[in-house]
Amino acid sequence: MSAGATPAPLLALDDLSIHYGRVQALEHVSLDVRAGEVVTLIGANGAGKSTTLRSISRIVPIHRGRIAFDGRDISGVRPSDAVRMGIAQVPEGRRMLARQSVLDNLLLGAYTRSDSAGIQADVERQFVRFPRLAERRRQLAGTLSGGEQQMLAIARALMSRPRLLLLDEPSLGLAPLIVRGIFDIIRELHAAGVTILLVEQNASLALQIADRAYVLEAGRLTISGHAAELLTDERVRRAYLG
Amino acid sequence: MSSSLLLQQVLNGLAIGSVYAIFALGYTLIFSILRIINFTHGAIFTLGAYATYALTGARFGFNGLLANAALPLHLPFVLALIGGALFAAVSGVIVERLAFRPLRTRGSDPLLTLVSSLGVAVALVNVIQYLFGAEAYSYPADPFGQLPSAMNFGTSTEPVLVRTVQVIIFGVSMVVLALLTVLMNATRTGKALRAVAEDTVTASLLGINTDRLILLTFVISGFLGGVSGTLIGLSVGIAGPYFGIAFGLKGLAVIVLGGLGDIPGAVVGGLLIGLAESFVPAQYIAYREAVPFALLFVVLLLRPQGLLGRAVVQKV
Ligand SMILES: Nc1ncnc2c1ncn2[C@@H]1O[C@H](COP(=O)(O)OP(=O)(O)OP(=O)(O)O)[C@@H](O)[C@H]1O
Ligand SMILES: [Mg+2]
Repeated sequence: MSAGATPAPLLALDDLSIHYGRVQALEHVSLDVRAGEVVTLIGANGAGKSTTLRSISRIVPIHRGRIAFDGRDISGVRPSDAVRMGIAQVPEGRRMLARQSVLDNLLLGAYTRSDSAGIQADVERQFVRFPRLAERRRQLAGTLSGGEQQMLAIARALMSRPRLLLLDEPSLGLAPLIVRGIFDIIRELHAAGVTILLVEQNASLALQIADRAYVLEAGRLTISGHAAELLTDERVRRAYLG
Repeated sequence: MSSSLLLQQVLNGLAIGSVYAIFALGYTLIFSILRIINFTHGAIFTLGAYATYALTGARFGFNGLLANAALPLHLPFVLALIGGALFAAVSGVIVERLAFRPLRTRGSDPLLTLVSSLGVAVALVNVIQYLFGAEAYSYPADPFGQLPSAMNFGTSTEPVLVRTVQVIIFGVSMVVLALLTVLMNATRTGKALRAVAEDTVTASLLGINTDRLILLTFVISGFLGGVSGTLIGLSVGIAGPYFGIAFGLKGLAVIVLGGLGDIPGAVVGGLLIGLAESFVPAQYIAYREAVPFALLFVVLLLRPQGLLGRAVVQKV
């Protein structure tokens, strides 16, 4: 495919560097995600995966480089504007608003929208997708089980009708059966055309559903390519698929 | 103690306690979001009281820069009260911009912000003194026209008399409290405010503009401070520029008693302290100011997290 025929990526990180005080978390990271793709970012603990997602959601300051979303430079926008433009994140550890109900968590997910009929319809849609949440709609989010919280975190992120969904370790701490359920949902979303950037510790699962993948090591990208190729790549197998 | 005297004291205690509650809520809202005590709250309380005084068209005394000045308008007391509270709300915005936001955007230690708010509080009190002098003021004698000076809540044989002013401050406080409850629990903005209070990062990830909501919190807090300044001024007069400082300390006792950052806690704490004070016998009136702190001391011995506060779970 020639460069001219490739559509502009939905998301492009260009030479991104980020540090926390003196800790360098990302160095010269460039990656892109095209509309409709599922791209996964894998790497060891502390490699900088969450930092990458946090930078895209604009909750950490950028030291160097830029981030473009849909062709627009978003390096300087507020986190709330990033959501407004269509970027939603399911953060690491789910981060429920524990003292608000399941329903209120969902409604806050739609905070950037004002079409109340559409919001109502989307709430019902999430309840169809996650029946366990429907039964618990009045329950405080903090009292949900880990798996239910992960479902709520995903449903809440979808309430903003994102064009790009950032998922940070959705399988963390969940039983295999629940993990399979979550990955089925990710597959469904992919089929429905949602663009996804997925961070995972469980590299083999992630590589099985992704189109493409990047490997992050100590803040730098080392390997990238089609997910199917990485699944058989000797270096990846040794380090992440053991 | 006769039952009618008891009832009278309860009613008086609830009246003053309801003002403590709405005043303390001004601290609570900001604390719940920023985890910082806003020391300017007492000064804003004073500003609200003075602004209401000015808006009624009353004349200032003789030893400030604005000696003998008066606004060319004579608002009815209710409108002056609302105007004074709005003035206090705007002051809250200025305080946030001057003392809080610059430090927050630099990620400074909350302790620095605390000191910065203390500095702004001292500056505000001094400006008030410079402009209006150090004397005491009181609102026009008949702020509500023809109402009798006391109301009878008992029977004609066993009267339970409560000053009309106390009834009015209780009524105003309850209206304010009801409005705040609706705002926090039944509106989108209130839920967003609670989201910011619970987890600022998550709130931003949901598309909530946290800076704007923090500013709104200062508006509401300033409004609450201003209303309470006017109500206390109505009940006991404006004692001078330092009037809000002592009251501010009492407000701190209320929020610590109820549980820091807890909204129902501030209400319960305010009412309790109001009631406790009203039961101090007349011959011991000099000790009344110590009551809130004595009560606080006892409660904290038994429940270090305050009456309704959540115990802090130390994460390991
Ligand atoms: N707030 C912070 N302050 C200082 N250092 C931080 C902060 N957040 C992350 N770091 C550091 O930045 C580096 C990257 O962290 P990050 O959370 O992005 O890693 P990760 O790849 O998501 O790891 P994990 O798989 O454990 O979630 C780590 O060395 C971490 O210690
Ligand atoms: Mg992480």
